[in-house]
Amino acid sequence: MAHDSRIDPLLVPVLQRKFKSITEEMALTLLRTTRSPILAEARDFVTGIYDAEGEALEQSDYNPIMGFSLQPSLATVIEYFGDDIAPGDVIFHNDVFGRGNQLNDIGIIRPVFLGDRLIGWAGCKGHQADIGGSISGGYDPRVREVWHEGLRFTPIKVYERGVLRRDLWNFIAANVRLDMVMQDLKAGIGAAAVGERRFVETAKRYGLEVFQAHSRELLDATERSMRSEISRIPEGLYEAESWVMYDGAREGVRTKIKVAVVVDGEEITFDFTGTGAQTPGYVNAPASAAAAATMIGLLMHVNADLPRNAGMARPVHMIFPEGSILNPRFPAATAMGNHLANQILHAVFQALAKACPERATAGWCWTLVDITIATHPATGRKFVDFDFFANKGGSGGTRGADGCDHLGSAMTAGGISGQDPEMYEIQTPNRILMQEYWKDSAGAGQWRGGYGTHSIYRIGGRDASIVTFGAQVSDEERPFGLFGGRPGTLNRIVHTFPDGRLSEPRAHDILLGADGVTVEHWAAGGGGCGDPSLRPAEKVREEVLDELLSVEKAERDYGVEIDPVSLELRGRQKAG
Amino acid sequence: MPQKPFRLGVDVGGTFTDFLVVDAEGRAKLHKTPTTPDDPSIGLLKGLEELAADFGLGAGEFAQAIATIVHGMTVATNAVLTRKGARTGLITTYGFRDVLQMRRGYRPERYNNRYQHPAPLVRRRLRRTVRERLDPTGRELEPVDRQDALAAIEFLKTEGVESIAVCFMHSHAGSGHEEEVAALVTERLPEAYLTVSSKLLPQPRIYDRVSTTVINAYVGPVVARYLRSLTRRLEQLGFRGNLLVMQSNGGVAGAAATIEAAASTLLSGPAAAPVAASALTLEHGWKDIVTMDMGGTSFDTALVRDRTPLVTTDGQIDGLPVALSMLDIHTVGAGGGSIAWVDAGGMLRVGPQSAGAKPGPVCYGLGGAEPTCTDADLVLGYLDPDYFLGGRMKLDVRGAREAIKTAIADPLGISVEKAALGIFDVINVNMAEAIREVSVKRGFDPREFPLVVAGGAGPIHCAAIALELGISSIFVPRMSSVLCAAGMVLSDFRHDYVRGHRSLLGDSEAEALLARFQEMRAEGSRQLAAEGIAEALVSDIWSMDLRYPGQHHEVNVEIGEDDVSDPAAIVARFHRRHEQLYGYSAAEMPVEVLTLRLTCIGETRKPELRQRQIAQGGEPAARKGSRPIYLHAAGGFVAVDVCDGDRLGPGSRLAGPLLAESQTMTVVVPPGFALACDAMGNFLLSSSNANGP
Repeated sequence: MAHDSRIDPLLVPVLQRKFKSITEEMALTLLRTTRSPILAEARDFVTGIYDAEGEALEQSDYNPIMGFSLQPSLATVIEYFGDDIAPGDVIFHNDVFGRGNQLNDIGIIRPVFLGDRLIGWAGCKGHQADIGGSISGGYDPRVREVWHEGLRFTPIKVYERGVLRRDLWNFIAANVRLDMVMQDLKAGIGAAAVGERRFVETAKRYGLEVFQAHSRELLDATERSMRSEISRIPEGLYEAESWVMYDGAREGVRTKIKVAVVVDGEEITFDFTGTGAQTPGYVNAPASAAAAATMIGLLMHVNADLPRNAGMARPVHMIFPEGSILNPRFPAATAMGNHLANQILHAVFQALAKACPERATAGWCWTLVDITIATHPATGRKFVDFDFFANKGGSGGTRGADGCDHLGSAMTAGGISGQDPEMYEIQTPNRILMQEYWKDSAGAGQWRGGYGTHSIYRIGGRDASIVTFGAQVSDEERPFGLFGGRPGTLNRIVHTFPDGRLSEPRAHDILLGADGVTVEHWAAGGGGCGDPSLRPAEKVREEVLDELLSVEKAERDYGVEIDPVSLELRGRQKAG
Repeated sequence: MPQKPFRLGVDVGGTFTDFLVVDAEGRAKLHKTPTTPDDPSIGLLKGLEELAADFGLGAGEFAQAIATIVHGMTVATNAVLTRKGARTGLITTYGFRDVLQMRRGYRPERYNNRYQHPAPLVRRRLRRTVRERLDPTGRELEPVDRQDALAAIEFLKTEGVESIAVCFMHSHAGSGHEEEVAALVTERLPEAYLTVSSKLLPQPRIYDRVSTTVINAYVGPVVARYLRSLTRRLEQLGFRGNLLVMQSNGGVAGAAATIEAAASTLLSGPAAAPVAASALTLEHGWKDIVTMDMGGTSFDTALVRDRTPLVTTDGQIDGLPVALSMLDIHTVGAGGGSIAWVDAGGMLRVGPQSAGAKPGPVCYGLGGAEPTCTDADLVLGYLDPDYFLGGRMKLDVRGAREAIKTAIADPLGISVEKAALGIFDVINVNMAEAIREVSVKRGFDPREFPLVVAGGAGPIHCAAIALELGISSIFVPRMSSVLCAAGMVLSDFRHDYVRGHRSLLGDSEAEALLARFQEMRAEGSRQLAAEGIAEALVSDIWSMDLRYPGQHHEVNVEIGEDDVSDPAAIVARFHRRHEQLYGYSAAEMPVEVLTLRLTCIGETRKPELRQRQIAQGGEPAARKGSRPIYLHAAGGFVAVDVCDGDRLGPGSRLAGPLLAESQTMTVVVPPGFALACDAMGNFLLSSSNANGP
């Protein structure tokens, strides 16, 4: 409770609602003004407002992995510029060795001034379609150093006192491949300006002193809520691990992600000591990306109906050993860092399953994506397309609920929309031949996993190449079953050439000469939760009727015998 | 007396069916009767009988004297919400069987592992696929496989479906394949209700289109049965007038057109409120207004721009997209029943849980135990415990105070009054921010819009919300409690047409564009002629959905007929609108057309609602006492005048603070606001604190 007598406890929720409205308005601006499908359709961005010290007052976490990634960038900005900040400045930051999470994720930050006094910050961070480097799209398994991966903003001022630095702007434009990126950066600057304007209005309305005192109290209240949530978790040490398989550089080498979760009263620590060394390729996570992933895992295991501000992170501690795959030393390549969220989450899920079984989830689908890089035959322009629509696997089952079908990888937590098939064909020359649920892909359980998907599409661009990146193509990575539930299925991609030849890419691969290639993509089904023989037979039969589940699997996994012709229920045996 | 002097608006709500009858002289009569949810026409007919008795007429005599009934109905909405629509089959493109259920692969509650999407209206078994394919320009890639189509129809027939939806990939660019299969359905299953996506909604985005098509198929047979039965019963009673149905787009349509596009009635009731608000404020010269309707569990808000309620094609029902044009009514879970609580961090929260109508607020004494917004309103003195619903329901002040004390005041270490004030403030800021978000999203500044208030609890909260938003004029209609029924008698016919048409602006032949618009216009004229509207009363609105190439959202820009041959004028208007909405425009970029739209309006004869008889006696007579209410400005309770709202008439002008209380509502007028009545007896609150229109 607030003990400070100057605090009006009733003003705190009012401010909170206003902060939420500010970041929402920034997000709406961004959503409607950006062009890249990753931003406008997939919503791969975050918007936020921060106090003068850089603590988040509120953020809109459209894509959760971005959710906690802007505050670390801002910390670097504050450290770097110190007092050299003026009204009208606009700052870009993305350096992964300065608390950034991925070079493509560019933080766009504006200081907020009341008169000549710095009172806070407003900003956004989104995944830009290009940031220079060795390849369009930013995922190149051949890279070995950060310099291969693109431009580093360590940070830089793009606007000084409201004046655009045209030299810098042109320099950036000259070093990225797509004009669209410059338009999207402009959209981001606009969104930050919306935040700045409303921040000032709100501070003015209540008076700076009252505003600041109550903002602090809001963060304290959120911290108390988070502490209360953590204190519900039984104290103890909970350990688990998961595996990073092929790292794009070395065949046959695997790297362990190990977590020890220590719950101590109102505080929780995620200690990743024992995690394997950084890899020579781009499969490394900057610590801020690893931290964002860990936070997603925690939020899924508490009541997450809390304001999204820095207060919630205060009782949460994390240790990422330097030189490990989750905190690599300079100058490691790190483009896959955000996607290691999948492996991190599986370790965290399995550790917390022991602590909070009621909220625990079985294994999810992970990232495996094909990127098409080609020239559009109609416009003659180069385009880059991430086939997120085909990476829509299932989530894990949870006590009381089946996993969600066609949701996406664990790192997105369901926060990324897939492209509409017609809009996809209007925007790209690629043709979708199929996108349906993948029969029998869900892990069996009293609460089954979510169904994965089966997509087929044909590349329509000229001079096409396909970059594959991701994971979950080998057994060590399979979506795990929980409390007696069965594991789910694996991701898989097969490329078929116009002459009928087939090839199956590794989890990190490049295919040059991909004109006319047909991509067949299976996105993993989630793991099941609880003993499958406890799932009501009628529910099993319903899925057979809907042709999601085969008669064979119904019998093998659930012990439910269904007549293959009449589809009537014949009986039930204890599953073997 | 003319033969058919009466015009009747009937709005079927969740609890009450509201009637507004207007006679030839423009005299209005209000009536309410309990809704009969199983068959709403029973309540409707009962209301007619009651009204007839009021007029001293027999039911048949009264029915014969009615020229027009405009009906707001919830039949379609309820069928979706309760999943009691028709058994429906979907025939779609091979490879795309699951688009309907897959949605966009998005989970609104990111961290809730138990989150479940709403069940699809057509289960997978009844979604059948046919090999066929068009490309995005409508060019045929693969012809319709007749065997697939016949097998699908045969299967659905065996499964006993009552309704069939047909939706193929890229049918927005060419309807041939859908029509081919539709013909087979008509031939093989003539009794089925058939919805064809390229007829209902020929615009790209298959997920939105298939969802809308299926919703229409799902509710169609239910709406058809209801309207046919209602028509029959009205005719049996002697009614020979026009039965019209209020549509989601704010217009009316005849029963036959409604049966064909049944999904266009999903907002049938609520859509009338902005229409009424716009019509009732006309005499004040307001063109732009924002409406709010605060009920027990939800808060609706909508914008009216240039006397036209804003329309959206991004609507939803129960989480299912509906891409038909409907009024842009934004709903949030905030109402009189919203429950207040203190979270683990010691922060006061209000909602989203609601006590609803049952058990309702603690003060209703129906078993509610958790403090609600209405309980706070009572503790703050805004509600009179002895004059709620004109005294028909006593409110339990002690119970309300006790609940607020236990749940809020004690944990926060503050007084009960302070806690009640906190609840009042938090819910007001929730509603104000909802209004702000909906206006900002549309590129408008809410401060420029007077606030029009409907719903029982609205008049208590409206001044606080207006202050929060910097709005200086508030309008509380005298018929606030039956506002939707009023909107119905004031609505025009309105039919929306749409054509997918993708090209760069300027590239398309003007004649080709013109031809498509004229085709829609002709369709509109035919439809309205069938509904008995003379061509002289028909007008139209043309618009285009435009964007910069590569963008994923379109901006709707209204155009004139002449603009079709002057793309530069359209481009300029698009840049301006884009700038207004998103803060920038890109003059160097080309502009892409995605969709053409035309709205055909058939003007109806509207009654001149006349000045009501106001009890004479003036303001002193209206004052009926005083009671203490909590005033922010004073930081505590202050005794203020309580006026009888029913006795305030044109010319009355009173300075706040005061309460204007009538049987159906209490208007809270804080200090700094003045209360006046217009010629119709509606209340106007104006603030001296802000600069208004």
